[in-house]
Amino acid sequence: MRNPLRKRQLRMLGRDWKKYAVLFFLLVITIGFVAGMFVANDSMEYAADEAFEKYNIEHGHFELKKKATEELREDYEDLGITIYEQFYKDFDEDVDGDGEKDAKIRVFKVREEVNKACLMEGEFPQAEGEIAIDRMHADNQGIAVGDTILLNKKEMKVTGLVASSDYSTLFENATDIMFDALTFDIGFVTGETYDKLYHKQNYQYAFMYNDPPVTDDEKSDAAEELAEDLAVLAATGGYTSDKDEAEELKDNVEEWTDYLEEIEDKADHAKELKEELEEEQAALEKKASDPQVVMNILMKAGYDQMAMLTMSQSQIAGIVKKALITDEMQAKIDELKELGDYLEGEEDQIDETIDRLEELEEYEDHTNELTDFVPEYANSAIHFAPDDFGRDKTMVEILLIILVALLAFIFGVTVNNIIVNDAAVIGTLRASGYTKGELVRHYTFLPIFISLLAALIGNVMGYTYFKYTVADMYYNSYSLPKYETIWNADAFVKTTVIPVILLVVIIVLIVSSKLQIEPLKFLRRDLSKSKRKRAVRLPNFRFLTRFRLRVFLHSFWDYLVLFLGIFFVAFLLTFSVGMPATLNNYQGRFVSLIMADYQYILRDWQDEDDKPIRTKNEDAEQFCMDSLKTIDGVHVDEPITVYGYGEDSKYFDVSDELAEANDDLPSDTEAAVCISKAYADKFELEVGDIVTLKESYTSDTHTFFVQEVNDYEAELAIMMPIERFRKVFELERGEFDGFISSSEITDLDDDNVLTVITLDDYTKIVNQLNHSMGSMMAYFSYALVVMAALLIYLLTKLIIEKNQTSISMVKVLGYTNGEINRIYVYLTTLVVVICTLLGAVISVFALDGIWNLYMYAMNGWFGMYFGKPEFIRVLLSILIAYLIISVIDMARIKRIPLTEALKNVE
Amino acid sequence: MEQEEFLKISNVHKAYGSGESRQEVLRGMDFTVKKGEFCVLLGPSGSGKSTLLNIIGGIDNADEGYISINGDKLEDMNERALTMYRRKHLGYVFQLYNLIPNLTVKENIEVGAYLSDKALDIDELLHTLGLYEHRHKLPNQLSGGQQQRTSIGRAIIKNPDILLCDEPTGALDYNTSKEILKLIEDVNQKYGNTIIMVTHNEEIQHMADHTIKLRDGQVRKNIINENKVSAVDLDW
Repeated sequence: MRNPLRKRQLRMLGRDWKKYAVLFFLLVITIGFVAGMFVANDSMEYAADEAFEKYNIEHGHFELKKKATEELREDYEDLGITIYEQFYKDFDEDVDGDGEKDAKIRVFKVREEVNKACLMEGEFPQAEGEIAIDRMHADNQGIAVGDTILLNKKEMKVTGLVASSDYSTLFENATDIMFDALTFDIGFVTGETYDKLYHKQNYQYAFMYNDPPVTDDEKSDAAEELAEDLAVLAATGGYTSDKDEAEELKDNVEEWTDYLEEIEDKADHAKELKEELEEEQAALEKKASDPQVVMNILMKAGYDQMAMLTMSQSQIAGIVKKALITDEMQAKIDELKELGDYLEGEEDQIDETIDRLEELEEYEDHTNELTDFVPEYANSAIHFAPDDFGRDKTMVEILLIILVALLAFIFGVTVNNIIVNDAAVIGTLRASGYTKGELVRHYTFLPIFISLLAALIGNVMGYTYFKYTVADMYYNSYSLPKYETIWNADAFVKTTVIPVILLVVIIVLIVSSKLQIEPLKFLRRDLSKSKRKRAVRLPNFRFLTRFRLRVFLHSFWDYLVLFLGIFFVAFLLTFSVGMPATLNNYQGRFVSLIMADYQYILRDWQDEDDKPIRTKNEDAEQFCMDSLKTIDGVHVDEPITVYGYGEDSKYFDVSDELAEANDDLPSDTEAAVCISKAYADKFELEVGDIVTLKESYTSDTHTFFVQEVNDYEAELAIMMPIERFRKVFELERGEFDGFISSSEITDLDDDNVLTVITLDDYTKIVNQLNHSMGSMMAYFSYALVVMAALLIYLLTKLIIEKNQTSISMVKVLGYTNGEINRIYVYLTTLVVVICTLLGAVISVFALDGIWNLYMYAMNGWFGMYFGKPEFIRVLLSILIAYLIISVIDMARIKRIPLTEALKNVE
Repeated sequence: MEQEEFLKISNVHKAYGSGESRQEVLRGMDFTVKKGEFCVLLGPSGSGKSTLLNIIGGIDNADEGYISINGDKLEDMNERALTMYRRKHLGYVFQLYNLIPNLTVKENIEVGAYLSDKALDIDELLHTLGLYEHRHKLPNQLSGGQQQRTSIGRAIIKNPDILLCDEPTGALDYNTSKEILKLIEDVNQKYGNTIIMVTHNEEIQHMADHTIKLRDGQVRKNIINENKVSAVDLDW
């Protein structure tokens, strides 16, 4: 015979249907959303992994200042890599034809070999004037296939929308903090179109290792070695890839050049002496041809006329010459002779030196400069999206476990209340011979059945509705290739099996624990486990206060679950409110944060005539800039911008003392510097610290003494006077990297400008994050208010149910509903307010810590912002949800029948 | 009239269910109770005594007929007025005490005191009830008799006009039952409350001023006891 108790299940469901409905709804939504996220993420991750082979994604890329010669390319390929030209030109993109720049578009030739693009819509360009652009950017800007866009005022027809495998996330530069799918775009055109698009070209090369490294360490070592080799080969024109050899060569060339210059100086001097002597000799000969002068010399020398007549002409000439040559002339003659002897002796050495230098001349034509190097694993444009899938999955998995545990406890408390109500029944059944196991199964059946049903429906919804919701969310941020849904056992285990097991275990444990009580105690309705629970002595508060405190202590565990529920929602709300607030705050303060509106980075500081490039803009100041990388601290390999500023700079907020602070440096430090607040905050640096950074493409390091910290928050930066900068980075006298200005500089030749950094470059992170998350966060906030209301509804319902008999009793005694509300609802209100306040405060701190951890892993830094209005918003969101529920609670209390208290009596 | 008809039960009918399952519990009940009287409602299970007590207590309502106290009909009262009625005039003692489990003895009694402007001195009452030493204990730390005394304390602390006792000794042993009955008797004598006690213990009628015997929802006997005895002299 089947257990007759099963007939109660439907009735129990009917009695508590509202509660079970809310729990069911929360479980379906939670499991559904998380299952959808796992399915979509895993499928897209699979597609991203597959893309490496399918679209032949690069192992890395680098940029040179000018096009590599064939010889340099060969030298590069001798390093064990195959390189592919991936040149591009950056244009202003005008979407609506209003003459205003809407975005920057990076145009490549259609790729056939590496980093191929996935065609999402339309077709690749076939003819001149056609272009395929990024699908994500097109969506953001409302561009469709067939539309026309302007590239530097040249009309281009959009023939296709693509997702390029090396730009699944639209990072303009690998070191950018955030991608920018709003104002950055990529496009592909035919080779002919590309060549006809006149604009400055950037010489980027993708590379593939012939023997690819496998492990992360191998990849890192290989990339570090390759970057150095490429840089050295470029600098030496292919002479060597060995850094030491290159250094030696540099020293030798300097030495040889100095030697030849010295020889040249000496030769010039000898020539000058010779010319002078020749002039003096001519004058002397003229003088010696005067008979009177000869006569005077001979007479002065003691010869009389007779003697003169007997003297030969040569004798006379010798005497005259001796008399006329001055000591000065003689010295010149001697020096000339000496120089002649020296030069004659150095002939072989000179020839050898000249030969060596001539040998090097063939490399001169191939010299270049490595301006950028990004290995695939460090390329945010390739890895940001897949990494984000992973991060989101982990976060959502944790949230799922927390929420499921919370719901399991609510189930448990619900069943617990039923058991309390059924105490006499249970006692009777146990006394009649029903086993504990049978009763555990009886009371756990409904919650487990509801959990399983919710998991089943949640999964169905995950694979159908939510999968698309999540995919749309990602497609709204990333330029992902097409994907196919993949059944994933791991996702099923994590989103369904584990949560359901967790639910079942918690529910069974709670129910089993409750049913441990012996039958007699059930019959007596005495379900306390401890034999004689002592009352906590309370201070002599007013009666109602003590009453509330007693209710609180009695329902402590329920209130604890209420706190956890509120904390859970408060945490998520803090996140959903804090994220946009942080971004908006950052954006709002940015104008005051940055040093100047424009930074012009030049290709070279001198023009074709080797004259320094000038501007007439009076706001402009010369500055030097380099980028070093961290080697330790919270984020290794983080780029730190190093600035050298001009005297009396109005843009760099540094003290005058810094200029004189280089005299008394700690040993092993190269310069006293000022660091930005962002750098100090992120790496917890302060005045007096010593920082060591490495050069981007070599292992050379620089060590600085932190002399001061300024308020600059826009980037992680080091600042020092320009002369000090030149000394540290061995620049020539007068050399600089660009101009910084508060106004646009219009008199610079475009060809001389490498890049211009404007306010937009700094704020694009905020714009992008706002675009990616702004609306989602708003919906999320509303959803959380609903969730807060549902959780509070469930938990306060449980608390009221637990106190139902007492409430009924005080009603019988003559308490008005208002008085009862002042005890129970007031208490719950107080608890909710305190929980909300506490939950929000803890959440803000927790989120601040999590935000810092997140930012540690990223390039750049800005702190979490959570102001009073945001705090109040979180509080109000939960309290408004509670307000609605408290009205329901009051109605619930009002509905508790007076006869409830008399049930025991009947 | 006050002396004669302090509490009047007039033609009270009450039924539960509908159709074929309709069960008439009270079938036209009539009697009056004088102020300060100790009245016992005596009857077997199903006689309707608890239902009647609930209607007198304003917890339940009559389908027909009325109950008046001091001339005020309960049927004319709305929910708030009924609450005020219970608050001002009634004290309740239940068979299973119905104490609030998370309040101490003293606090349970304070639950009653809070409702009255003329509440008795709580410490004095605790002494009277023999509970002073136990005042900081929770109900589950007390014996049945102590719990019932607490319940009586909660009921009388506000010095109600009517004390409704529903089988107050039903869950107690003989000696404890007698102690409780003595306590109720003392309360009646000391404070002059009208006491309506539901019981199926026929012996208790001997300590009452007035006994109403019920059967099948009707008053079978209405007895005025001229020779009542003290609770200590009861024996069953």
